[in-house]
Order: sequence, then structure tokens, then C-alpha cells
Amino acid sequence: MNKFEYLVPQTLDEAVSMYDAHGDQAAYIAGGTDIVVKMKEYKISPGYIISLKHVLPRSEPQRDRETGELTLAASVTHRMIENSALIKNEYPILHDAIGNIGSVQIRNVATIGGNLVNAVPSADGVIPLIALDAGVNIYGAKGKRSLALVHFFTGPGQNVLEKGEILVDIVIPPQLPHTGSAYHKFGRRKAMELPMLGVGVLLSLEERTRRCARARVCLGVAAPTPFRALGAERFLVGKKIDDAVLQEAGTIAAEESQVRDSIRGVAWYRREMVAVLVRRMGQKCLERIKTTSEKA
Amino acid sequence: MGDLNYVGKSIPKLDAVDKATGRVQYIQDLKRPGMLYGKILYSRYPHAKIAHIDASRAKQLPGVRVVLTGDDIPAIRMGVYKDNPPLKAGKVRSYRDEVAAVAATDPDTARKALELIQVTYEALPGVFDPETAMQPEAPLVHENHKTNILKMPWKLHYGDVAAARREAAWVVEDRFTTTWVTHCCMGTSGAIAEFDHANNLTIHTNTQIPSLAQKDFLGVLKALGLEEKRVRVVKPCIGGGFGSKLDTYAYEHIAILLAYYARKPVKIQFDRREEFIATSTRQPAIIQIAQGCDRDHRLLFRDVSMVLDNGAYTSWGATTPSVMMMPITTLYKVPNVRYEAKCVYTNNTYSQAMRGYGNPQATFAIESSMDMLAEAAGIDPVELRRINANDSGDVSTQGFRITTCGLKECLDTVTAKLATGAEKMPGEGIGIASLIHVGGGARVYKSDGCGTIIKMDDYGKANVFTGASDMGQGADTIIAQIVAEELGLRIEDIHVIHSDTDVCPWDVGAHASRTTFVAGNSALGAARQIKTRLFEMAADQLEVPVQALAARDRHIFIKDNPDKGLEIGKLMRKAHFSHGGQMLTGECFYDPENENLGRDFRGNLSMTYTFGTHGVRVKVDEETGKVDILQYIAAHDVGKAINPLLLEGQVYGGVLMGIGYALTEQVILEKGEMMNPNFRDYKILTAKDAIAIEAPVLETADKDGPYGAKGIGEPGCVPTAPAIANAVYDAIGVRIKDLPITPEKVLAAIKKKKGITTCGIDPLTEKAEIC
Repeated sequence: MNKFEYLVPQTLDEAVSMYDAHGDQAAYIAGGTDIVVKMKEYKISPGYIISLKHVLPRSEPQRDRETGELTLAASVTHRMIENSALIKNEYPILHDAIGNIGSVQIRNVATIGGNLVNAVPSADGVIPLIALDAGVNIYGAKGKRSLALVHFFTGPGQNVLEKGEILVDIVIPPQLPHTGSAYHKFGRRKAMELPMLGVGVLLSLEERTRRCARARVCLGVAAPTPFRALGAERFLVGKKIDDAVLQEAGTIAAEESQVRDSIRGVAWYRREMVAVLVRRMGQKCLERIKTTSEKA
Repeated sequence: MGDLNYVGKSIPKLDAVDKATGRVQYIQDLKRPGMLYGKILYSRYPHAKIAHIDASRAKQLPGVRVVLTGDDIPAIRMGVYKDNPPLKAGKVRSYRDEVAAVAATDPDTARKALELIQVTYEALPGVFDPETAMQPEAPLVHENHKTNILKMPWKLHYGDVAAARREAAWVVEDRFTTTWVTHCCMGTSGAIAEFDHANNLTIHTNTQIPSLAQKDFLGVLKALGLEEKRVRVVKPCIGGGFGSKLDTYAYEHIAILLAYYARKPVKIQFDRREEFIATSTRQPAIIQIAQGCDRDHRLLFRDVSMVLDNGAYTSWGATTPSVMMMPITTLYKVPNVRYEAKCVYTNNTYSQAMRGYGNPQATFAIESSMDMLAEAAGIDPVELRRINANDSGDVSTQGFRITTCGLKECLDTVTAKLATGAEKMPGEGIGIASLIHVGGGARVYKSDGCGTIIKMDDYGKANVFTGASDMGQGADTIIAQIVAEELGLRIEDIHVIHSDTDVCPWDVGAHASRTTFVAGNSALGAARQIKTRLFEMAADQLEVPVQALAARDRHIFIKDNPDKGLEIGKLMRKAHFSHGGQMLTGECFYDPENENLGRDFRGNLSMTYTFGTHGVRVKVDEETGKVDILQYIAAHDVGKAINPLLLEGQVYGGVLMGIGYALTEQVILEKGEMMNPNFRDYKILTAKDAIAIEAPVLETADKDGPYGAKGIGEPGCVPTAPAIANAVYDAIGVRIKDLPITPEKVLAAIKKKKGITTCGIDPLTEKAEIC
């Protein structure tokens, strides 16, 4: 890789002003698992690397007792999320996804914020967070702003961040009762794999009627950006969920996807797998709702 | 064989701790004083005329010492067909063609210099499919050759296949195809070339063939006008070979040329992308096979024809038919055999040796076809194989003399282990496939020899200089075990040196699973000479006849009176420190009595043959087409397991390589361009994908092997793909005849079986897609 200067700001403001000072020559680094690879391959050659190590706190995933909101600092590593009992027990969809990213060595350093900012269509961490209605907080020269994660991505490798802006944290609102969620990374091997398709489903059931109160059907690698299959979601809400309903939701989601042919997979196959996996993840959601209520 | 101390024991590989703790020196770790860094510019076209090269700006870049193009170097032709110059002049024939090279003071400057070289190409129409390349109007890859079909007459016919086919009660015929896969050595390639003041060359390089590489590099020196000069090949620790280092590469020749013109050592070190693009693959094959048997289910004939994509140049990939002949003529008893293979130039990457050397491709077709024949004849596939299995003492149509054969036992072992007694679950299936491979060397050159020199030191320890090349497989350890066993020394007393042509004896290379057999026998011969001398010295001092002596635990002692003996170290010191003293060296050049393939490709290629059967239980997800392996058994007749731990390692590694070949691995070429030159998209299996493999060992104690051993380096990956293909068929009734068996192919085949030929409607185009 080309030579660069390594800058270590201590505050958000300092980081933002450093970025501002170096303009197009600057790049932020957190875990470095994406940016260092790109630099080694000479795809980017920033003259100034600005470390976010001291700028963003690396705290365990925490849930606010009063609001019920779960906050993930952008600098939390995948491994910390994977090993969090809170995530495993109460946000299983996130655990499903995070535990299968890269390898243990990568998960030890790669941050969740980096996974989002990198904005590749195959980012496994993104899909469950969208299903969980996560929002993101952003800080930059113009101050703070917040938006829903689903609106964060603008194209392959592209997001809404303006030059110098930093993704600070991710906030997941409290979930409805009787909620189950599940993610499946569909690939050709079990580690060091980019998904051919990522499918996340979240279902919340009404207490009394057991009808679907909320549905999220989120797909990765099925369009230029991660997206929610709104048609499938609308179809599910208000229905009693069974295999036939899930099958139909899968078919609708498949029609909503804009899959394409690439060396990683052909369009027809990806589309068929959307249908199969949406159904299977929906079934897993129901199993998880059942297990949770049995435990309770 | 009596009780053995080291042979037959699971001794960890001697350099395992050094490797695990990062102490060993790979080519990546080596530096020489004043060393420059070389880099290679590759073609931007699969087929084009080089109209003009302007390297002037690169030459002016500070730090650049030498820039070379094809026009700057003497005539050098690499490879078995001598069609490949290390730097191409006038024309490029594939994306991996080396167009220019630079040497600079650091790697970044070298890389920048490459960007400054301006090459003007005039694109030519390319040909990327061997069957198209055989058509008369196809573009010629090598105009001087007049045709794209190589003049290598791979053709044999034993008996009368046409008559046998008429007699056969059942006949099956089909077409199978296999694609490019690559070795994926953990250590990427590299070399450091340097000349001394008198123009003698020393080259540190990753090679499996130090002695033959030395000959190739002498050729470079000769082309440079440096006759009578010496070449020393030093082999650093190698992170995997698998056949990839069985030929010399352009980068090694280029390093030598750059070092010669720069008057400085030059290192060329591949990164992973370059390793994928610029090293060679397994030979892809299009295979037409017919087999038939009589009413008693005895095989009557096998008729095989192949078209092999040679790529743009010719390396060992073009000679894999010589090994494919072995399973085609001799896997099971087949009285009438016909085989023909055509190697065809294309503008794709060219192939090399890779573990199994053609055998996995041929066995995929043969063993898939065997299951199809069993179904056609209404007989259990295991029973069909058992009826036709080879026996000890057989001589096959090709003249292979089967000395020992444990094939039936392997079939029985695998069948018994696969039989769970439980009812078959939906989507589950089992499959088996067997193999034959050379197990006692392979006479592919005029010699199949290997030398060993043993030198005893003053302390009773042995330095063993072997021609064998260890590249991670464990040759060093096997040789140490054999010498320790023979001399009554401890394993830690043996130092095996296998890395330097200036000190190590000659050998034809680490190929054909030959090292344990050939280098092992050579080490045994040298050790026996030492032993004889030690016994003579001890007999003299103990005043007993040599026949009364035995060696164990660093001592020579009297068999009937084990308390009375002499320490070998003391014997050595006495030898060195006496008037009229002596030193102790032993040497042995072992060249087995195997035969070159002669007229009609007949000849006993190997002293003995390794057999095996693999069995697999799979579960196929019929909605996704994914194949999961639930159980894998790989049984082999190994003669004798000199080191069960290393042997299992060879089998496990081979099987995983075979599973990758069967299910996930493929080099994706689009119009000659590699689309997945990285581990992200080249789907080698990871540790997490590894499955439990049972590797039962059958010992037939071959009379010619060292302590009865046969070679086992390659067999592990030979029958894996057909075993899995057969299991998939057993599970869901679809047969995949094109490797790898991807979920897409399985799902498309399931749909086809159900009569569905379209796979959904594309919502953008609203057209039905063909799956």
C-alpha cells in the first residue's frame, strides 16, 4: 500500500476537523477490515488515516431500562455482539447474522459501524438491524442528525454520510411482545463467505388473536441496497401465520427482489431462494416465539 | 517384521513446532543483501498483437534498475512442448501472458514502473472453448503450429472394443465435464535469483523439482551465453505444492534475467491475486465414456475419448492423459479398452500437474458411469465393483503388474461402515467410488531415481542428505523414521537436509506419490550401508560375529546378551580418533525397476499400485439444491503406514481438496479472464466446512515398498467427486455430470426431472428464465 499519515484524534470534533483539513485525502478507520484491504489492493490510497479508536466509546451493547432502547456504539466489534448474552437471547436475528461474518479473527476487530458505513449489498450486519427498525445517529461539521437505517443506504458501497460525517451509534427501539426474528446467510461455505443472499424476517404476534401485528422481511444482495420487501410485509400483517401464508409471502418477496446474475450466483436461483428462505425464516420466527413464551 | 521403534508410529512432523511458532523461513521471509524487487506486467487481452511497447518512462523512474520486454531477452522456451517464452514478444495468447518486467529498489517503485509501461495492443479474435478451437476456421493460438490440436498422440486400443460392445448385455454411455480448479497453496510463489562475480547462479525458489529446475535454469544461463556456469537451487520451506511447483514458471526465469541484467539479487514474490492468475490449474476435461458388461456383470469394455483445454501454452497438464490411462485401463478388470485424448490450444490459462494428475477427472467419469451401469444392469453398485475388482497378481491390459491389491477389502470396509441399519431419510443417499493410483513410483522420465547420502557425526547422530523435496507433506519425517529405525537411533538424532542442490543428491521430484516409496527405499539403502559398517566396527570390538548384533536406542548390542553393547557415539569417536581412522558415510541411489510406457502405452509404470474406496452419505436439500455431507469414509490399501498420523493427514487433506472439487471450487474464466482470483470468490473449503473423515487403513505389506509401504500422497482426492455424485443420485435421483455439483445445478436438475424447464419469470423483462 502507499504511505500515509496516521492521525489519532481524542474527540469527535477533533476527528471531524482533521477530516475537514485534509479533504479528499482523508479516511476514517475503525476496525480496518475493509479499508486496509482496499488500501493493500490500491483501490484507495488516502494520505491521512484518522483513527476513531479514542473518539467512539467501545462499550458493550446496552439497553436503557426506561426507554427499552438498545444502543450499539458504532465501534462495538462483531465479536462483542456475538458474545453478548443480551443479544443472543433477545435479538437472535442479530446473533444469527453477526456470528457468521468472516472469521473469528475478523470479528475480533471489525466494527458494526464499519459494516454499515461500508454499505456493500452483502453486509450481513445490516439486514437484521433494518428488521429491528434500527436508527442511526450521525455526527459531523454541521452537528448531529439521526435517521432510520433503512434510509442510510443509497447504492452499492454508498450511504448518506456527507464528507467527514461519522456514524456514532445505532439505536434499536423496544420490540413488541411475542416477537420472533431470524436471519439466514445463504452462501456456499460456512466461514469467510459473502452471502449469495441474506434473508431476515421478524414477526410480532398479537397477544389474543395470534395474528401478525408487525412483519419485517428484509433482504440483502437481492437489490443494489439492503431493502424491506414491503409487499410481503403488508401481506403478512393481520394474518394468522402458517406455512401457506409464509410461502405466499416468500413468493411476493421474490417478486419484489431485483436480483441479478453475477459470478456469485445467478438471478433465477437467487429469486427462488428468496421464496424458500423467507418461508423458512418465518417458520423459525414462530418457533422462537413459541420457545420464548414457553420459557416465560 | 519384528517390533519397530519408529516405523508405524504416529510421530508429529519434525518441523511442526517451528511452523506453528512462526520460526521457519518461507520465501516471504528471505532477503539478500542489496536485493531488488521484481514485478511482472501481464497482458490486458486474451489474444492480441503487441504493436508497440514504450518503457522509456518506466526506465526513468528513480529506483528502477532494469526493465525487460520480450524483445530484450534471448530465446528461451519453457515447458514440455517448448512453446512458452518467459516474456512474450509480438503477441499475447492469454491474460496471464508476461509482457514486461521491472526490477526496482522497492516493491512500490516496481509497481509504479509497471503502470508507466505503455503497451499498444491490436486485439485478435480469441478462442475459449476447446471444441470450438478444433474447428478448421477457429483462430490459431500459435500460428506456427498450424492447428490448435497438440501433436501428442494420446491413443490406445487394447482388445476389440467394438466387438465387446456388440456382445455386452448392458451398455451405458454419457458425457462428463470438469472445470479448472487450482492448488491454493497457503504459501504463495516466489524466487530470489542472484549471480556471483563469476556468473554462477543461486536461486532460492519454491519448487518440487530442485534437480529438474536446475536443468531448466542452466538453459536460461546457456541462452545468456553463460555456458559452463553453475546453478544452485535452494528450496526454502514451502507452504504447499500439490503439483503446482512441478514445472518451472516464467517468474523464476524472469527473476534470473532481471538479476543478470541488474547485477543484483532480484526477488519476485507473488501476492494471492497473482498466485491465482499466473500459476497453473488442474486440467479441465470433456469426457465421453461408454462401458458395458455381460450377463454375469463382468465388464467387457470401456471406451473413453476426451478433449482437454490446453490453454495457451503447454505444461504438464497436457500430459495428464498418461496418468488418466491408468484408471481407464486398470480400475477394475477390463479386457477391452479404447482411449483417445486431444489437447487443444485456447486463449485460456494453461494447466499443470495437480494432485492426482488427471486421475480425479478420469475417475469422476468412470465411477459415475459404473453406478449408471449397475442401475442399467439391475445390480447393486458395490456388487458390480466387487465382481470386477482387481486382485493381487493381476496384469492389466496396459501391462500394470498388480503386486498387492486390497480393493475388495476397501470396498467391504466402506460398505460396512456406511450401513447404519436405519431407514433412509428423505433426501439422504449414499455413494461409493474406488481408485487406483501409482504407489511405487512412476517412471515418467527415463529415471525414477532418488539419491540419499548419510554422514555420521562424532556423536552418533546422522545427517541425511536426501533428494526428496518436502513441501509440507512430511517427507522429512518419513525419511528420519526409516533411518532411525534402521540404525537404532532416536528420531531426534536424525537431521534430514532436503533443500539445496549443492549438497543434496539428485532426484526427479516430488510427484506421483513417489517420495515415501522411492526416497524411502533410497534412505533405507544408505542406512543399511552405515549399519553394516557400524556392525563391523562393533563386532571387532565386542569380538562377536556381525550376525550376533542388533541396533537399538543408540547402541549396537549382542542379541543374546543385550547388556553387552557399545554406544554408537562412542563407536564413531573411536573411528574418528584412531590412527588410520575412518569416517562413516553411506550412499544409495534407488531407481525402481518400473517401466516407461512404451509401444501402445504399455508398460509397468509403477512398482506397485495403491487402491482405495471412498464412501459418503449425503443429505440433499431439495428446495435449495444444497448437498450436505453427513459421513465420509476413505479406506486405502497403503501397504504399510510408516506414520499413521501423517498418512491420515494426507487422506484428510486429499478428501477436503476432493470435496472442494466436487462441490464448491471453480476458477471462473470469462473469455479467458479469471473472474475470481481471490479466496472470497474461489470457494476453497474453510476449517468450518471441514467434515469428520474416517480413514481406515489396510496394510498389504508390499514386497518392494520400504517396510512394505505404498504412496498415499494423491489418492485422497481421486474418487471423492464421483462418490459424492453417486450419493446425490442415490438421494434424489438426479445425476450431475458437470463439476462442481453446485446447488444451482442440483436444483435445475430436480426441476428438469419434474418436467419444469423454466425457473421463474424475471419481473424486469417478464421473460421466463431457463434454468
